[in-house]
Amino acid sequence: MTAIAALTERIVIATVRDDLPFAVLAPVANFVFFNLALGKVIDTGGMGYPQYVLPAILIQVIFLGGLTTVDRAARDELSDFADRLRTLPISTIAPVTARMLYCLFRGVLGLLATIAVGYVFGFRMFGGFIYVAAFAVLALMLTLALSLAADTAGVRSAASKRGIRGGLLAHMLLVPQLLLFMLSTGMAPADAFPDWLHPFVLYQPVSQVTETLRGFANGHVAVSNLAASLAWCVGLLVVFGALALRVQRRP
Amino acid sequence: MIELDGVAKAFAGTTHALQDVSFSVPTGSVCALLGHNGAGKTTTIKILSTLLRPTSGRAIVAGYDVVRDPAQVRASIGSIGQLAALDFELTGRQNLVLFGRLRGMRRKHARLRADALIHQFEMSHAADRPVRTYSGGMRRRIDIAAGLMVPPEVLFLDEPTTGLDPRSRRDVWGLVSSLSAQGVTILLTTQYLEEADVLSDSIVVLNKGRIVADGTAEELKRRVGLGYCTVSPVNPGDLSKIFAVVADLDGAEADYEANTVSVRAPDGVAMLGEVFRRVDRLGVELVDIALRKPSLDEAFLHLTESITT
Repeated sequence: MTAIAALTERIVIATVRDDLPFAVLAPVANFVFFNLALGKVIDTGGMGYPQYVLPAILIQVIFLGGLTTVDRAARDELSDFADRLRTLPISTIAPVTARMLYCLFRGVLGLLATIAVGYVFGFRMFGGFIYVAAFAVLALMLTLALSLAADTAGVRSAASKRGIRGGLLAHMLLVPQLLLFMLSTGMAPADAFPDWLHPFVLYQPVSQVTETLRGFANGHVAVSNLAASLAWCVGLLVVFGALALRVQRRP
Repeated sequence: MIELDGVAKAFAGTTHALQDVSFSVPTGSVCALLGHNGAGKTTTIKILSTLLRPTSGRAIVAGYDVVRDPAQVRASIGSIGQLAALDFELTGRQNLVLFGRLRGMRRKHARLRADALIHQFEMSHAADRPVRTYSGGMRRRIDIAAGLMVPPEVLFLDEPTTGLDPRSRRDVWGLVSSLSAQGVTILLTTQYLEEADVLSDSIVVLNKGRIVADGTAEELKRRVGLGYCTVSPVNPGDLSKIFAVVADLDGAEADYEANTVSVRAPDGVAMLGEVFRRVDRLGVELVDIALRKPSLDEAFLHLTESITT
């Protein structure tokens, strides 16, 4: 436990000047930008745009965080520091556990920053404490699932001899995640998309999870939607959790 | 105590990085692995610090088998690689505390120990700057200090002085001697015969993954010859005259291209004096008369020759 705490602290110290401020400022900047640019354009029915778009901003920030996670895992894995860790009497999975704890810590900061700037623009949590807690837990589950995926990708890229480096891989992953984000009901209701895209737009994970988060904020969630979101998050957690542990084996 | 018995390592079926390597290092002594790049020094260190599994053979470190008991081995060793394995964004002090805690120290205890090592390694002026701002010598010092946060039973040092300026090199030498005096068993690698000579109780010479010689520095030096006495006249025409007066000495050779006569000088200065007296009587004007130590290449040549013939 001391080892995991020490390794997590190490990442926090090293990122306090770049990644952590970014984790706080990115949601604020995105939220302000989306509200100014799209707030008066997109018809969200009776709901104010800040109330509608906040979960999407949150997810976008989680995605962006994943990119730096890929890069960090790859660099960590290739460093002489990582080699030295393997000669120390610590668990094989201590380094990846520390990186995941750091991702959750950064996720909490991003969550707080997003909700804080949301409140300034008129976003409100209408449910009780249980709904607030459920909102946070779901967001952090997704954070952890995507962080595990990103970490695995980074470690794998470091191990592969083809030489796709973490930084490059992070850029390549930007494309599918932007598509997932743009073609979701996170920023605009399904009516804003052409009919033939509806099946994808409605049922892909970003749409489902933003819908659930929106429900938690408003104080009521459809059971089918909650089930779909949980299935996505738990499924991703199990799959990427298993993969992340698999790639940590010693040579 | 380190013990290797018939250790071999092959990488992906292509190259034999190590073949039939057997030697032992008694508790509290210093052993130097001497060899060129690619001789298998780092591979040996990596196997002993559980970073690589041997293809065959047995290796025991501090009483534990590196394959069967890697966790126990890791708890007993400090392993310091060729490049500074530190977090460059952290300060020197933060790195030390981190490595102390990774070895199970409590934070407060780790801080006290870090303070002591920073003082001992004369790093007080830079301890609170990020490691990326350090010079090579400073990185190496913090790197070694990090390996000493919990004094290990066995310490591996992979080319500890490569890339260091002479002063930092002497610092590392002093450190190795004092650790050895405290009872730490040390295995270090080096490309310099001189360094192996100064630091170690025993030397293992590796070439292309095999041991070509081992023994104490004295034994090896006797086998390679301590050095040569070389004489160069101002006038190349005098070379044969010089050769004539020293021809009866051991290993006398005349090299007309290099304009030198050389004689083996196992007892060093005494031979230099003998050669000087003989040449002086000729009344020939000299450019240079000197004692030259064998380079590692020459030592290897001798050692590999003595194996094959």
